[in-house]
Amino acid sequence: MIIRTIVLILGSFILYVLQTGLFSSFSLAGVVPDLLMILVVSVGFMRGRTKAILTGLLCGFYIDCCYSTVMGVFPLFYVIVGNLAGFSNKIYDEEDHMTPLLLTAVGEFLYNIMYFVVFYLLQGKINLSFYLYRIMIPRVVYTVLVSIILYRIINFGNLFLVRFDKDA
Amino acid sequence: MKPKIKNKVRKKIVVNPKIVFWGITVFCVILIVVSYKFSDTFSSVKNVIGSVVAPMQKGINDLGDYFEDTLDHFSDMDALIEENKKLREQIDDLKNTNQILNQEKYELSNYRELYELDGLYDQYKKVAAKVISKDPNSYSGEFIIDKGEDDGILKDMNVLAGNGLVGIVTQTGSNWARVRTIIDDSSKVSGMFLKTSDTCIVTGDLELIDKGYINVSQISLNAQIYDNYEVVTSYISDKYLPGILIGYVSDIGVDPTKLTQQCRLTPVVDFEHIDAVLIITQLREQYDGISEVFKSDN
Repeated sequence: MIIRTIVLILGSFILYVLQTGLFSSFSLAGVVPDLLMILVVSVGFMRGRTKAILTGLLCGFYIDCCYSTVMGVFPLFYVIVGNLAGFSNKIYDEEDHMTPLLLTAVGEFLYNIMYFVVFYLLQGKINLSFYLYRIMIPRVVYTVLVSIILYRIINFGNLFLVRFDKDA
Repeated sequence: MKPKIKNKVRKKIVVNPKIVFWGITVFCVILIVVSYKFSDTFSSVKNVIGSVVAPMQKGINDLGDYFEDTLDHFSDMDALIEENKKLREQIDDLKNTNQILNQEKYELSNYRELYELDGLYDQYKKVAAKVISKDPNSYSGEFIIDKGEDDGILKDMNVLAGNGLVGIVTQTGSNWARVRTIIDDSSKVSGMFLKTSDTCIVTGDLELIDKGYINVSQISLNAQIYDNYEVVTSYISDKYLPGILIGYVSDIGVDPTKLTQQCRLTPVVDFEHIDAVLIITQLREQYDGISEVFKSDN
């Protein structure tokens, strides 16, 4: 349990640093993939709702610390997505690599919609089609592409930890 | 008799995920309200975390740059890149010289004050910084630089790149600072046409910057402005130092209310590829030159 928590905190931190630092050099069409979203959805798929909610809270705080004037908005986004992704835990199969991709796409899209509503719609910017075409869809596609690889790594880590728990 | 099963594993506390979800949601909402009300207290917490993250991001960013460079080497010839770099530097230099020459061309008696300011603009003390991370949400035009309070960076300091305005520092930590660019949707800069001294408001717009420009509004109907006029930061701004070049205007027209003119502005800074910036370590409040100019005017 403690090891799991430490791994999760470190892992999410590394992903955050990668997302803001490394991947901004690899941005495609001006967007960066949402690595934290992949983590939250994967945890939801592998470990269930509660874990995903807590992971979402953690990931949201990372973004809050550097990129938000008001705290609590990004955790809320991730928590909502994590909660929904957690329902898929019932159909979890460690060999299944397709479902998490689909979940990531849906989760990322939901996140972007929430972002749009909170930061744009409420400011009177209603040009959804622009954001859809320019940011949301590229972001979803890029995130899904990255998650093909990243999910395998996270899944591997999870299976390793499960085995580690059994051995202990 | 039933056999006693002794559970060696600690009993796991199982909480209904529903309760966790709603609990955390309420917590987040409360946090939003509280952090909005007491933003000062929370900024110190952010500072601590930010100063831990900043060096790591710097390292990661260097790694990213390295990869980018390596990829470049694969795709292009080294010599070409080198030459390109040199040429770019030259272009920058020439642009700078051209800018200065252009400004000198407009020497008219009523711009003498501006000239004094221009001199000051050159004399402003600047600190160079590297961009180490960009906003993870692809929507906003904000980034983080690797200099902070330790290097004398304070909130509301102006940020330049090349010879144009990039934005303003909105938050600082000990070794990092957050910069909001002028293309960000929440950015509004009070500008002025260099040739006619008409004031205007330059508003960031992430939708339009895709096409390469941002909005300029609130220009007086009487202002005689034409395409390619330069817009600089104005005297009346309380955060931006006067006389910093923002960009060149185009598409001039009357706005829907028919009370003011509006136009589009092409920034001189290439916001897609910002990697190094200059921060002027002088705040607008400390800037006394302007009040003297106005005194002498009256």
